[in-house]
Amino acid sequence: MTSRSAAAPGTGEVVPGTRPTGRPATASGRRRPWRTHLLGYGLVAPLVLVMLGVIGYPLLNTVLLSLQNQGVVGSASTFVGLDNYTRAFGDGAFWASIGRSAIWLLGNLVVQTIIAFGTALLIGRNGRWARASRTWVLIPWVIPTVAVAVIWQWLSNSNYGIVPKLGAAVGVDGLGSPFGDSALAMPALILMNSWHWFPLGAVVIFGALRTIPGEIYEAARVDGADSWRIFWRITFPLLQPVLFALGLVGSLWSFNIVDSIYLVTKGGPADATTTAPVFIYGKAFNQFQASDAATVSVITIILLAAVAFFYIRVAKPKEDA
Amino acid sequence: MRYGKVKRLTAAAVAAVAGLSVAACGGSSGPAGDDKTLILWHMEQPPNRVAEFQKLIDGYNSTNPEYKVQAQVQDWNQIYTKISGAVQSKTQPDILFTIPDFTTYVRPLGAVRPVTALVEELDKAHTFGEAAKAPYRDDDQYWAVPLYGMVQMLWYRKDLMAKAGIAEPPKTTAELLAAAQRLTSGNQKGIALPAGKNLATDQVLYSLMLTGGAGNFFTPSGEVNFDTPETVRAITLYRDLLKQSPSDSGNYSWGEPQAAFNSGAAAMAIEKGQYLAPFEQESGRPASDLGCAPIPVAETGGKPGSIYYSNAAMVMSGDDAKAAGAEAFLKYVLQPENYGTLLNAEPGLFLPLTADGATAESWTSNQVVQKYRGCVDAMLEQSKTGGLFGFLDGQYVDSIGKISGQNVLAQVVQRVYSGDESPEAAVKWGDEQMRTAVAK
Repeated sequence: MTSRSAAAPGTGEVVPGTRPTGRPATASGRRRPWRTHLLGYGLVAPLVLVMLGVIGYPLLNTVLLSLQNQGVVGSASTFVGLDNYTRAFGDGAFWASIGRSAIWLLGNLVVQTIIAFGTALLIGRNGRWARASRTWVLIPWVIPTVAVAVIWQWLSNSNYGIVPKLGAAVGVDGLGSPFGDSALAMPALILMNSWHWFPLGAVVIFGALRTIPGEIYEAARVDGADSWRIFWRITFPLLQPVLFALGLVGSLWSFNIVDSIYLVTKGGPADATTTAPVFIYGKAFNQFQASDAATVSVITIILLAAVAFFYIRVAKPKEDA
Repeated sequence: MRYGKVKRLTAAAVAAVAGLSVAACGGSSGPAGDDKTLILWHMEQPPNRVAEFQKLIDGYNSTNPEYKVQAQVQDWNQIYTKISGAVQSKTQPDILFTIPDFTTYVRPLGAVRPVTALVEELDKAHTFGEAAKAPYRDDDQYWAVPLYGMVQMLWYRKDLMAKAGIAEPPKTTAELLAAAQRLTSGNQKGIALPAGKNLATDQVLYSLMLTGGAGNFFTPSGEVNFDTPETVRAITLYRDLLKQSPSDSGNYSWGEPQAAFNSGAAAMAIEKGQYLAPFEQESGRPASDLGCAPIPVAETGGKPGSIYYSNAAMVMSGDDAKAAGAEAFLKYVLQPENYGTLLNAEPGLFLPLTADGATAESWTSNQVVQKYRGCVDAMLEQSKTGGLFGFLDGQYVDSIGKISGQNVLAQVVQRVYSGDESPEAAVKWGDEQMRTAVAK
């Protein structure tokens, strides 16, 4: 059996109307002998080994730990089968934390995308301020998370924060930190985290915007398209592959954030900001239930993989878009 | 030729990586002492405390002991996992600073040495208060050497109290609530209390639980008994007081109430002696404006008290000779002429635990101690009625670390404050949480 070549020999260019099979082939159409791939496999092998070491082994360890009854991390334990899973599935606090994670993820996705997109469009202009902004817009991103947490707490502190002081100056007395209010803590944290991370999205989108040929815009304007129409019919569709990748990576990244939340609220007040990762951290290091933490970690990983799979199926841009 | 160059470069790179790895292993994040160095871990991170502790250690090392001491500062938030890993890999420090509930966590890890003979010797020489030693005694052994105590008081601004027409600090919980209400006016709040999910909230609530007759939430056999009318009453009081506290108290820990107090945004606070040293500078008011009083007591069923605990040092050396070296250092620390250096790492917060330490010139000559001598004496007096959850009435609850580790008391406060739950329901929830924690 030979596979059909999808590329023009010697060019690597895909021939229109054919599908690449992914199998390398010789110019005569015969598959190369396995020895010719040895160098490639050899070069990839160290990375694969490292990945197995830093991801595969801990993952396997987590699954094994979830089947035991370990308390303090590293203490003695025995095999208990699926008991931990039975308990975790019936744990309302865990599912509530998953719900909060969903809110956290969606909130960050929406807020960061809007701010990043708006920023990318603004810094993409040709004015002097826009060009200068391309540098300092990165500032929130380069500030360490712990400093971001402190800054936002200081800003909103009722004793010395500038926000309550400004509020008082315009006649709004008694403003306090939203992080101490169970109704406001989550939105405030989403805003803080979005402020911290939006420059990354803005820079990526800005870079992608620069790859769109100016001729397309000129042609659209000649055809009488207004700015709104140009954005929705040209800019947005051409950015879809970038937005898709950014959405996937950014969502997984946001979901797993512990530091920002823990530094500011520790998951409070009254568990209002206890997302799944914070819940897992608390189980392992505050409640000293290592196996329970491993169990909810495994469940969370599976849920996250399912969501990522669903996202890829639904949001992946069409090849011919 | 070229192959040889690549080979040499590869060898150099491997050597460099290996060198870096070895260097990394010798970093300051973990014990790296040689055979004649004792590693000491403490969790007192403020720079002034680090510097004073180092001064004490330098003083000891200058006596040319067989084993010199090297301090490594740790973080309270990470020490639980760090010490667990260190014991497993047999790289634990020789000396580890501790508090009673942390000791119950570390002991089962298996590296803590009993120090009964040393504590008895030090007791004979310097005379410890009973409350200092008791939380470290279990299975007929002492497991740590008490070093310094901490106790909470009611702090009040005399200038703001006078302005509100209040002549005397509140003595009962009803008076405390009434004073807080009266002192709340405009942007000024009557009291600043923490209600974050943290140890600060645990401790302030516990002081009011103690004076409200709800301090011992374990049965004599060690079972959880949190859901009592006394606990509900204490939580109700805390909730009512929080209404007179700044609106963002739900995110308060140690620092925020003190900042509110010093800025004049709050007229009262309940905390330990760290309020003394920075008062004048941060408030811009004279020292005479800072008042202190015992924690107010409930009218019915209450008794004087406050959260009080001694900080101590565990000996965890892997071999006997180093353990003896660690004990020699701890003896040096408690000598009256050296003790002041330790206590003055945070004057007013770190209180002496020994009879001769309380009168030691090395401590009493400190400027802050002298300036606020009245409050310092009041704290020493309050210490006599102080106690700590899990260690009241001669108890030693092994699992108390599991309860304090997850801040159950603070979570109960948050449920009534931020979650609008009734005190009864929140206390019931807390009782269940504690039972679950202890059962694991």
